[in-house]
Amino acid sequence: MPKNMEKEIIEHGFNFNRRRFLSSMSLGIGSVALGSLLMPDLLNGGGLEEDGLTPGIPHFAPKAKRVIYLFQNGAPSQQELFDYKPKLREMLGQEIPPSVRGSQRLTGMTANQASFPLVGSFVDFKQYGQSQAWVSNLMPYTSKIVDDLCFVKSMYTEAINHDPALTFLQTGSQQGNRPSMGSWLSYGLGNENKNLPNFTVLLSRGVGNGQGVYSKLWSNGFLDSVHQGVQFSKGEDPVLYLRDPEGMDRHERRDMLDNLSQLNELSYQEFGDPEIAAKIKQYEMAYRMQTAVPEVMDLSKESDDIIKLYGPECLVPGTYAANCLLARKLSENGVRFVQLYHQGWDQHGNLPFEITKQAMDVDQASAALVTDLKQRGLLDETLVIWGGEFGRTSYTQGKLTADNYGRDHHPRCFTIWMAGGGIKPGMVYGETDELGYNIAQNPVHVHDFQATVLHQLGLNHEKLIFKHLGRRYRLTDVSGKVVKDIIS
Amino acid sequence: MHLRFKVFAEQLLVASNIFIVFLLLFESKLVIPAWLQTIGRMHPLILHFPIVILLLAMLLEFFRFKPEYASNQFFRNFLQNLLLVGALFAGVTVIMGLFLSREEGYSGDTLLYHKWTGAGIFFLSSIIYLVRNTGWYNAPLAKAGALLTVVSLVLTGHFGAALTHGDNFIWEPVSAEKEMAAVPLEQAVVFEHVILPILDQKCTSCHNPDKLKGELILTDAQSILKGGKSGKLFEPGNPDISLLLQRVHLPVEEKKHMPPSGKAQLTLQEISLLTLWVKDNADFKRKVTELPETDSLRILASTLLKTPESDEEKFDFPEADEKAIAGLNTDYRTISAVARQSPALAVNIYNRSAYSVKQLDELKEIRKQIVSLNLNKLPVKDADIKSVSQFENLRRLDLNFTDITAPGLKELASLKHLHSLTLSGTKVNFKDLQAVIPTLKSLKTVSVWDTGLSAEDVDKLQKANKQITVIGGFKDDGTNPLQLNPPQVKNASTIFGESVALQLRHPIKGVQIRFTMDGTEPDSVKSPLFDNRTVLKENTTIKAKAYKDGWYGSELATFDFFRSTLKPDSVRLLFPLNRVHQAEADKTFFNGKLGAIGANNPAWANNWAGVRNNDMGFISEFKKPVVISSVGVHYMIEEDTGIFPPESVEVWGGSSPDNMKLLTKFKAALPSKGDKPTLKTVEGKFKPQSVSYLKIIARPLSKIPDWHRSKGNRALLLVDEMFLN
Repeated sequence: MPKNMEKEIIEHGFNFNRRRFLSSMSLGIGSVALGSLLMPDLLNGGGLEEDGLTPGIPHFAPKAKRVIYLFQNGAPSQQELFDYKPKLREMLGQEIPPSVRGSQRLTGMTANQASFPLVGSFVDFKQYGQSQAWVSNLMPYTSKIVDDLCFVKSMYTEAINHDPALTFLQTGSQQGNRPSMGSWLSYGLGNENKNLPNFTVLLSRGVGNGQGVYSKLWSNGFLDSVHQGVQFSKGEDPVLYLRDPEGMDRHERRDMLDNLSQLNELSYQEFGDPEIAAKIKQYEMAYRMQTAVPEVMDLSKESDDIIKLYGPECLVPGTYAANCLLARKLSENGVRFVQLYHQGWDQHGNLPFEITKQAMDVDQASAALVTDLKQRGLLDETLVIWGGEFGRTSYTQGKLTADNYGRDHHPRCFTIWMAGGGIKPGMVYGETDELGYNIAQNPVHVHDFQATVLHQLGLNHEKLIFKHLGRRYRLTDVSGKVVKDIIS
Repeated sequence: MHLRFKVFAEQLLVASNIFIVFLLLFESKLVIPAWLQTIGRMHPLILHFPIVILLLAMLLEFFRFKPEYASNQFFRNFLQNLLLVGALFAGVTVIMGLFLSREEGYSGDTLLYHKWTGAGIFFLSSIIYLVRNTGWYNAPLAKAGALLTVVSLVLTGHFGAALTHGDNFIWEPVSAEKEMAAVPLEQAVVFEHVILPILDQKCTSCHNPDKLKGELILTDAQSILKGGKSGKLFEPGNPDISLLLQRVHLPVEEKKHMPPSGKAQLTLQEISLLTLWVKDNADFKRKVTELPETDSLRILASTLLKTPESDEEKFDFPEADEKAIAGLNTDYRTISAVARQSPALAVNIYNRSAYSVKQLDELKEIRKQIVSLNLNKLPVKDADIKSVSQFENLRRLDLNFTDITAPGLKELASLKHLHSLTLSGTKVNFKDLQAVIPTLKSLKTVSVWDTGLSAEDVDKLQKANKQITVIGGFKDDGTNPLQLNPPQVKNASTIFGESVALQLRHPIKGVQIRFTMDGTEPDSVKSPLFDNRTVLKENTTIKAKAYKDGWYGSELATFDFFRSTLKPDSVRLLFPLNRVHQAEADKTFFNGKLGAIGANNPAWANNWAGVRNNDMGFISEFKKPVVISSVGVHYMIEEDTGIFPPESVEVWGGSSPDNMKLLTKFKAALPSKGDKPTLKTVEGKFKPQSVSYLKIIARPLSKIPDWHRSKGNRALLLVDEMFLN
């Protein structure tokens, strides 16, 4: 080594003598301390630790432990189901007053319509139960359980088309790429049953005009991929790629996994990529799912009472009724979030025919699910949600004839119901005006709804945060208020 | 210090002593002019000087007699001067304070203490200054004096702060919330638990018995009723003319706006609560629950009283060891904290085959912390309940579909806190439950669906135990039969070769399927019962219905079976298909997949080959020549959307592509206006012919009939399969 260089190295060593170390330390500590005044979490690292939240434990004791979300994809018309507006019948064919419609943004489908004639429900309504909630004749089974339900008639959203509205309800953002509600819950609450995914998705389709659902709706977004929704499909392989290949038995699979996880462990230690750790966990869960899933999916042991409760379609895989029954079984087995989508609610035209069919698909099974959870003593800790992504207009889309009409998208008000999970039973919350067009009382924004759902599960929506690309994300973005009035 | 100044200062000190004694003696007779008030109000500004200076001086005084200090000239001079300055500042502060105290709004014990301890500091420090150089003044005396002064400083400061900021200023952030949360809604009184806390938070720091700005006290009902300098606070029942609300509603810049700008303002919710309370006659005794259910005041008050965590149960047992919990967590046993900072644990056990009572026994170490235990669907025996009863703090126990019976139930009696119990799907009966329920003192709900209890038993149990909720459930009593869903066909395809065994199924066990093959509708008596022995040999339409006792018969299900014995080895399209109706291109026509009606159906999008502007045609090759005598084309009609049958179908055949002759040409019947969408087959028969190559050309309808709204346009032709025999 040349002499000069040796000298430099020694000098470099001296550069860090005690005095220099201390002075730079004090300056350093001083600036960090100052900085921490400006940015309170500077010293706390990223992610959740900044809030002292250990992921997987609720912030406070929850009312509900699990959610079943019966998503009615396509936006069911509230005027034909739950939001009784006799005035609309009286004003049949009359133009909607401009004062009511205001300067609302319309979809491309009716924006060019020359006239906007009002149309009332083709079907009659009655009041039911102690709560005296109005329910249309299209929902005979739901009408029997109104005292277990809390109707929210004053939901509103920001989007006017299906995909953004759906994405908004599910992820809190109209654009994709954020975690779905189920992923957030999985992240915030952890597993109850380690042998099943925390967040599962079930799809079904009615005969009505349908809208697509895509896997981005059950994406984990920036959260760890163990929180992703797992779609259970009908048919022989409810969960894809779960079955062992032909000729491989369970012991061989075990050996293979053991070796694989050792390798993964090594590379995790080397690179520290959390995705590798997630991968190890997922392999292990898949192994246990190989026995747990067939057990859950087996409907052959359900009693005759259960079949009659849900209706005969509940044994036909891929139907809404079968999915409701499966939802109960999954939820009963500790799956935190079961997401159903029933497609076919987009009645731009031919509404009377299509909505009748759609209602027949879902009415009995939805009511059965609530009853079934209740009779197992599970309703108090399971939150059931029924609803679409927005509402439908009080005026007709397309031609208005004596027995046929359609309704366009309407973000300003729509009706959902919730049951169990500490939500007040037998309640009707919020009101729309007499034309069912604007909210007259107690508006509930999508973020308010999301905040309320999280709250019921023991999570403070303002604290359930994940830091990603330099900013903190929440399901409720930067707003949302828990709707305390509907909490029992 | 220059001697001249010093003498002057000392004289000033003596003079202030006399002045202050005078002020204290004739305090009640003083009238303070406005300009003096200003000086008085500088009391909170100046007071910091005597505190700091005297603290320092007393510290030095404390050690004054230490030899090294006593001999130090600078120390002696400095201390003497410091003490003088401190005492003088104390004097000025006391005078200002006395002026300030004469302003309206200050009275009460705290002021009294503050005044006398404050004056005490001044007198004490003056005395120390004046006597500290006399011969009898020694070290113990100096130390005692210094200590006494410091204690007085602390006390005075504390009382003063209490006057300005209110009594509980320092501890408020920590203590306030907890006090609020403790009131259950049923016991809450509107005034005491809703209105008073608002006043406490936003008003009483200035309107309390010690500091009654505007001669107003807002800490108790009597003083509130009395009002202040400007009169009564409100007219019960009439918020519009009530002084309290007027002040609140004034613009913030307004001098009389309350709370004054700069202080924490009332929120909208708090204002509405005050308004509603006054409107409700400002009742001081009324409970929240005495108000009508829909009353706005009640709704607002109950939401306010219900802080998110308010009904959270507080547990008095200690937290379990985290490592122990982690060690007990297994794949089939999940142990998790009920909430952050809660010692309570919830345990879920899954998997029938992995269960044994050991899984419960192993939880000994955390037995106190377990408040919820889920054993649903596990083979839990009565004997296992002994192990459950060790969890003395259990609140919720799930035993649905376990093997528990009466002896096991009895063991539960030791669970003093158990409030919810699920027993659905077990073998317990009315007698067992009637005996056990009274022993479970905290029980609130029990679910007993699908047990030995009939609906009447559930009613009886509920009537006998009014304090709890007994949850029954759905049991089919046969009074409201449902309609069965139709049978399903399980054959992989309804297109078959020479023959096929018909497979009809129904998902519900014990269902009878009755069917016909002659196009008539089956009935529940005469039509043959499906018994898995039917073999189809030609094109057949199966009509089937499902029947079962206790159910209405199903709707009719129709299945068309098509015989197609010949399948070409390859197919080459002669013309392009529509962009959106590609189906499986050249493989479409012989893949055994039929299309369906309804654009929402995947079979619609994937299985229909379609053309509009050109013919649909292909050449197919048979490697070995075949004898063919008929061609069937399966197509869709949906007149409303302009999907029509083919105008004509030509069948060509021969031994090579260049040498083919027309075997047949046939047409399909056109629909009429308003026909429902249907699927149809049109068949062309001809003399049996040996062919290696077969060409089929189907033409879409070139002119839609005049009755249609698209009259004259070309129609869409959709074909999914062809049948060759």
